[in-house]
Amino acid sequence: MMIFTVMMVSLRRLMHNRIEMMLTFVVPVAFFSIFAIIFGGGIGAGSTPQIKVCLVDEVNSDLSRAVMMTLHETAGLKFVSGNGELTKDEAKQYVRRGTASIAILLRRDQASKAEPKAMVADLLSDTSDQIAPQVVSALVMKAIMASMASIQAMSKTNQGDVTQASGTLPMVGPISVTPMTPPSVTIVDVLGANKTNGVISMYAAGIAVMFLLFGATGGGGVLLDERENQTLDRLLTTGLSMDELLLGKWAYLTALGVVQTTVMFAWGQAIFGIDLIGHFDGFLIMTIVTAGAAAAFGLLLATICRTRGQLNGLSVVVVLTMSALGGSMVPRYVMSDRMREVGLWTFNAWALDGYDKVFWRDMPVGDLWPQMSVLMLCGAVFLVTSRLLAIRWEAD
Amino acid sequence: MTSVLGYFGMPGLPDRENASGLASVTVYQSEGRKTDQASPAIAVNSVYKKFRSVEALCGASFTLGNHERLALLGPNGAGKTTMIRCLAGRTRPDAGQIEMHGKRLPATGGRGRMGLVPQDLAIYGDLTTRENLVAFARFHGLAGKTLRSRVDWALTWTGLGERQNDLVGGFSGGMKRRVNLACGVMHQPSVLLLDEPTVGVDPQSRQRIFQMLDELHAAGTSVLLTTHHLDEAEQRCDRIVIIDHGNVVADGTLAELVNRTIGASRHVKLQIDGPVREPMRGPMATWQVTGDPVANVLETRVNDVAGQLPGLLEGVRDAGYVVRNVDVRAPSLHDVFLHLTGKELRD
Repeated sequence: MMIFTVMMVSLRRLMHNRIEMMLTFVVPVAFFSIFAIIFGGGIGAGSTPQIKVCLVDEVNSDLSRAVMMTLHETAGLKFVSGNGELTKDEAKQYVRRGTASIAILLRRDQASKAEPKAMVADLLSDTSDQIAPQVVSALVMKAIMASMASIQAMSKTNQGDVTQASGTLPMVGPISVTPMTPPSVTIVDVLGANKTNGVISMYAAGIAVMFLLFGATGGGGVLLDERENQTLDRLLTTGLSMDELLLGKWAYLTALGVVQTTVMFAWGQAIFGIDLIGHFDGFLIMTIVTAGAAAAFGLLLATICRTRGQLNGLSVVVVLTMSALGGSMVPRYVMSDRMREVGLWTFNAWALDGYDKVFWRDMPVGDLWPQMSVLMLCGAVFLVTSRLLAIRWEAD
Repeated sequence: MTSVLGYFGMPGLPDRENASGLASVTVYQSEGRKTDQASPAIAVNSVYKKFRSVEALCGASFTLGNHERLALLGPNGAGKTTMIRCLAGRTRPDAGQIEMHGKRLPATGGRGRMGLVPQDLAIYGDLTTRENLVAFARFHGLAGKTLRSRVDWALTWTGLGERQNDLVGGFSGGMKRRVNLACGVMHQPSVLLLDEPTVGVDPQSRQRIFQMLDELHAAGTSVLLTTHHLDEAEQRCDRIVIIDHGNVVADGTLAELVNRTIGASRHVKLQIDGPVREPMRGPMATWQVTGDPVANVLETRVNDVAGQLPGLLEGVRDAGYVVRNVDVRAPSLHDVFLHLTGKELRD
């Protein structure tokens, strides 16, 4: 009987607490849905995300053209520049800038003694995505084999003086068919080859941004505590204005966030070999703007809510959702294009793209302007909105 | 900016001359009582405040004289806290006027000249006593030597000098109340507003807090406090304002309130040796049987104790009763409050 009473009391308390009800029943379903969309490509879709690639054709033969056509027809690849008109260096830049995950380079094997020299493929890869090179390697190998078989078959047909059927490959130039040996496909890391655990810096950034958000919402919650225990009333009867109060809290949360993230990356450098010192300028700029935006976001959530309990519930839902969509929990390259676009509505995605440019792509500070602009704009909008919401606390 | 740590200075009550920036000393009259300055510290004139359908203040008017201790009493929901918030600039009245030292109070309240001690513990429990005092002193614009001097004074004043480096969160309720009070007076306000400053503390702590308030009063601070302890209002305040349904229903000293409501009569209570045997007639008609008849209690009111009481006692004796005990009591603030509001203060 006593046990039953304890159960009933607990159940009734749960039913009276909407936030706890939401955290118990709604949040798990929401998160399951988000991850299902990320990995499933959409509600009920089940399609895999496409890998962004570009092509460089240095061979310029029937076989290489056939391979290009075959790859173009492959569903799993998305060509950001697809007709082989790029040079090798341009393709490398595409990969370095993140425009493409992989550049497929078709070239002659200079080490080959056969004439004409055999065609080989190099995959110039961004190995932060550890899955894509393996997938593309298999697809390229398959495309080369299929193209070789197709051309050999066509060659025999031509030798039999059979009229060329429409839709088959155009026969331009000398037929260069190599024997049906497995083609050589090599993965070349153009970003992380000389790096010490650059990928870890991306995970460090993901976790850091998520905890910046949690820290900022917790810090913003102090404002609600102060309001509930009348400290805010007292503070606003002193020489302190609401502007000064909010700016003071924002500056503190920003500074705390910068220190928190720096400590985390310093630990990453000491233990996991992240090159923090080598990227300190970019790191510092990205950390300051990210911490500033996160601090403003924390204050915004706090000023939206009426009580600390409301804030706790709301912040868990919002921060975890933003982190999931923005790439703090799951790398953005795993997501479908649609989800990546959705992720850009969170400032996690912009922050992580910025850290990615700094640590992984070694891009100069000047190239961070899109991320910095978005984060600073977010911070300003959040801060102004929170100030407007706080008007209601200034006087009844 | 001076470091929060490492303040050392001579404790003691600093000279608060010119703390309010006021020098004029003239005469203010209210209910025949004289105080010592021309313009009252606070003058509230027909203040209205409505929260949606609830009228919290309905034309309340009263004054707080300079160097005066005023108790604002009223049942729960009467409008006391709204009035305190209006005075502190935290609530904007819909109509009416509030003046401080003869000047209209701005919307932001009397910042710099007024101190607020809220009912809740509006301090930082995760800071030490000294850190709290320094923080609020800085918020009030103090710095340098003045700040250090005020912090040292506050530590002495609160008797918490030995606990200055302890976290306030670990203090007893009374000690927290003392810190709460000190944080409201770091800037030496000329007017101090206290919303139930002794709620939830033991009698010893209450006594200590009122000693502290007495010291402030002696130094020239005008004090307005709300309280649920009628004895505090009776013993510790110069004047009492009773507010009910958002309006002032009585304003004056305790004696003035008594005279205007239930008069100066004394309440006489007799305990006799047995239950009353027959209806009261003749000389006995004055007495009322109250409470439980088994308790054998007779009560009445007399205007002249020395003249009337012997005759009343003789009548009781002639009726065949033996008087076991006699209790003569002057009217209290509780009687006045009950008379005016029809409610106990706790209602």
